[in-house]
Amino acid sequence: MSKTTAAPQPSRLNVLWHKWRFHLNILLLLIPLGFMPKYFTNAALIRGDTGLGEHEIGEIQVGPWSLRLAELRDEAPRRDGATGHVKAFNAALCDACIEQVKATYLRIGKPRSLRAAGVIFFGTPYRMGASLPVPEKTQADAELWITMEGWDGAMHQAAIPLSQASPAAIAWLNKQGGKP
Amino acid sequence: MSNAFRPLRAALLVLCTGFSASAMAHNPMCECKAIDAEQIKCTGGFSDGSSAPGVTLDVIGYDETILLPGKLGADSTLIFKKPAAEFYVLFDAGPGHVVEIDQADIEAP
Repeated sequence: MSKTTAAPQPSRLNVLWHKWRFHLNILLLLIPLGFMPKYFTNAALIRGDTGLGEHEIGEIQVGPWSLRLAELRDEAPRRDGATGHVKAFNAALCDACIEQVKATYLRIGKPRSLRAAGVIFFGTPYRMGASLPVPEKTQADAELWITMEGWDGAMHQAAIPLSQASPAAIAWLNKQGGKP
Repeated sequence: MSNAFRPLRAALLVLCTGFSASAMAHNPMCECKAIDAEQIKCTGGFSDGSSAPGVTLDVIGYDETILLPGKLGADSTLIFKKPAAEFYVLFDAGPGHVVEIDQADIEAP
């Protein structure tokens, strides 16, 4: 009578796992490397190493002042909860107006008043940011209005076609089918 | 036995890091609805989910006169009587943090 009993045969899956787990772990470490270029491009854009934004609109004269405007990303407006779709813009004030300008606002369509001048740019005057709501019913020929308010109370405005400011937003609006 | 759960843990970790929510600014938002023929109810808030009690909400005429100066109540809402003149609603949470709602965009009851 033999007392030896055969050890239970390990399952096929178990064998495979024990054989390859070391290599699988190396693979897990390598996967993030594939995303590195995208990460660094994005980091450079946010930090400002690649300019104001993906789509530079150029220098815009607003009364005696001027600013450089850019779309942060050359893409359709992003959904932000119940606010609707928003588009991020960056701007840099001209060197001479940094001391004089108190606030810069952005709005689609001509503002009714200074109080309703739109979204405000915040951040350093060399690189300010604003999230502009883009209503789905915006017309393709809409204008982007820039309102600048000085410390002396002066207010100056300028407008550029939205198609010039954000071709991606216009493409998105056209795709929506021009909601009423 | 515990070895069998390790791949599952690894997969969970990858999922958790991959799908973490990205941070966004909190934009003001406001919604107005007519509750009956006479009254309009406006609700304010911010896109990060926070409410807006005490925030200014003015009803302004097309000629820029303030028809009804108001503030949102503790429940972030305000009910007002529809003015006779043409108007728009301005939810004003500070300079550059405003929402305008034209009378044409207010839903009928």
